[in-house]
Amino acid sequence: MAGVNLPSGDESFLTTHWSLVLRAGGEDSERAQLALASLCRSYWYPLYAFVRRKGVAAQDAEDVVQSFFARLLDKQALSQVRPEKGRFRSFLLASIQNHLANLRAAESSQKRGGGQVALDIDFAAADARFRLEAGVLDAQKSFERAWALELLARALSGLEQEYRASERGALFDVLKPELVGGQSAPYADYAERLCSNVAAVKVAVHRLRKRYRDRLRAAIAETVAGEAEIESEIADLFKALAPN
Amino acid sequence: MSAPTCPRCGTSLAPEHTQGLCPGCLLQAAAGASAADEVVLTRQESQRPVAPAIEALAPHFPGLEIEALIAVGGMGSVYKARQKSLGRNVALKVLHAQIADEPGFAERFQREAHTMASLSHPGLVGVHDFGQAGPYFHFVMEYVDGVNLRQMLRAKTLAPELALRIVPQVCEVLQYAHDQGVVHRDIKPENILVERGGRVRVLDFGLSKVVGKHPVRPLLTRSDQVMGTPHYMAPEQWEKPLSVDHRADIYSLGVVFYELLTGELPLGRFAPPSHKVHIDVRLDEVVLRTLDKEPMLRYQQASELKSDVEHISGADAPAAAPEPPPLPASATEEPSSTRTSGPPHRNRRVQRLRERRAAALAASAPARASDATLRVETAISLLGGPEPLPGPMIGLICFLGISMLLMLVMFFF
Repeated sequence: MAGVNLPSGDESFLTTHWSLVLRAGGEDSERAQLALASLCRSYWYPLYAFVRRKGVAAQDAEDVVQSFFARLLDKQALSQVRPEKGRFRSFLLASIQNHLANLRAAESSQKRGGGQVALDIDFAAADARFRLEAGVLDAQKSFERAWALELLARALSGLEQEYRASERGALFDVLKPELVGGQSAPYADYAERLCSNVAAVKVAVHRLRKRYRDRLRAAIAETVAGEAEIESEIADLFKALAPN
Repeated sequence: MSAPTCPRCGTSLAPEHTQGLCPGCLLQAAAGASAADEVVLTRQESQRPVAPAIEALAPHFPGLEIEALIAVGGMGSVYKARQKSLGRNVALKVLHAQIADEPGFAERFQREAHTMASLSHPGLVGVHDFGQAGPYFHFVMEYVDGVNLRQMLRAKTLAPELALRIVPQVCEVLQYAHDQGVVHRDIKPENILVERGGRVRVLDFGLSKVVGKHPVRPLLTRSDQVMGTPHYMAPEQWEKPLSVDHRADIYSLGVVFYELLTGELPLGRFAPPSHKVHIDVRLDEVVLRTLDKEPMLRYQQASELKSDVEHISGADAPAAAPEPPPLPASATEEPSSTRTSGPPHRNRRVQRLRERRAAALAASAPARASDATLRVETAISLLGGPEPLPGPMIGLICFLGISMLLMLVMFFF
């Protein structure tokens, strides 16, 4: 993705692109399939939330998501992905809607995911999280919100790993509140806690914010067809998170 | 269960998922700092606004008997009061003390009062007085006895037919203000009141921008600051806040219109309203046109939107239409059997329409001509009919037809 400042972290999702999936031809389908699987593994929770909001019980929702991925990761299904499908988020939403409709029409619950690829997903934690996220969102809004949270959380955990890997975990822990903008506490307080000075803290805060921004933009870039769509996707994320 | 709230923006926090950080503030801080267009949605640097106590206000407003706090908004607190000299109810709006110190805010506040005072329309809330009393920047305005559209939406008392009566009235007010060179820039359900008598009143021109008559003062709207309410903001309010014109209001009204019809916001790839509720399918094109991301492809005037809504709802018919008005059978109406088609199918149509509009813009066709073309294309699209012939093809057919005619004339003479 030209022009996008990719972070140096080594998470698999950072090395795969939705644009790669979109460009996938017959000769490079293996790579595209891996890329798609990686994206799916990263962003499965919004799908789970969507399916649950559609009234599917927890156990059945797990089956639905797994069978959805099994179908999606089928090579033939992959060949049907076209650039005009737009962003990964939109593609997933449209695809899961179709998948649910097909499942319901065929009433083939016993076939769901049978003998197919199953991604390693912690559904127990997902159910707990879903129950915690109280609200009256409809399925699509729930999907959009969960999607936005997933992006933010992944960028945050990636940043944390990056700092810990470079022995700056304490710096991350102390300055993390500054990622929400403004100034959560006087810089002198941070300086005291970090045994540093105010000037150094200011620079550290600036760098932390910049790294998070780069990571978030890179994560978003993973899910859109081109850099031109990033700003528009960010606007959609704002809408998804805004309270009703 | 009451979720903890963010001390900055006041929204509920997502449980633990973002390590205790407010997702909205996190996104705003990260995305907002990108490139040169930093987004500032609310005054997050300051504390949440606190309305002054009535007892604290009273000594500074001897002419008023302040009765109750009505609302706390982004810029000020609104109180119901009684003007002693005239014995009438008024609304007192007081600028938040936390932001009154900032010259930009105070000037904007003054301008809000000036702008509102310069406008006079039955659909607008009038300003009686404004100024500074002690530490309080304020204005005294007409007290309107009614409910706002947000309250009506929450109470679920809005039938689509009611929306079709409200929207044209808002259009009328907007057209009046736009003709005066005033853009609202924050049209949302909270700012639209319905009086007990049914008259619609538009509130709060505090975010208005004077276009034409007076130059825009960039200090008031920095390029890195976006004013408005996210759900209802036109895309250009995010992307090019300094070049926003009256068409941003038309977009915002489109969001309100969609919400009034369906009870939902048009987020992401939203379904056309007729898929959500039983309404005349021709309203889809009207609503989608107001919501076009490209200002050139929207309605260019609020009066045009008013005219189309009234035409479809039958309000412009010579004889009073029965209630509810029958759906006129016209060439643009979709057969009822297709009206219930599934969302993916309809969404593809919407997407196609948007792509065509973008293509029409790229072709640099004159705005009105492309609008007319799009109306025809939309009608065809909604009917599910064939793709319209491209311009060059029409030219070729005309050329061949005329050539054949000339050859026949030459043959006979």
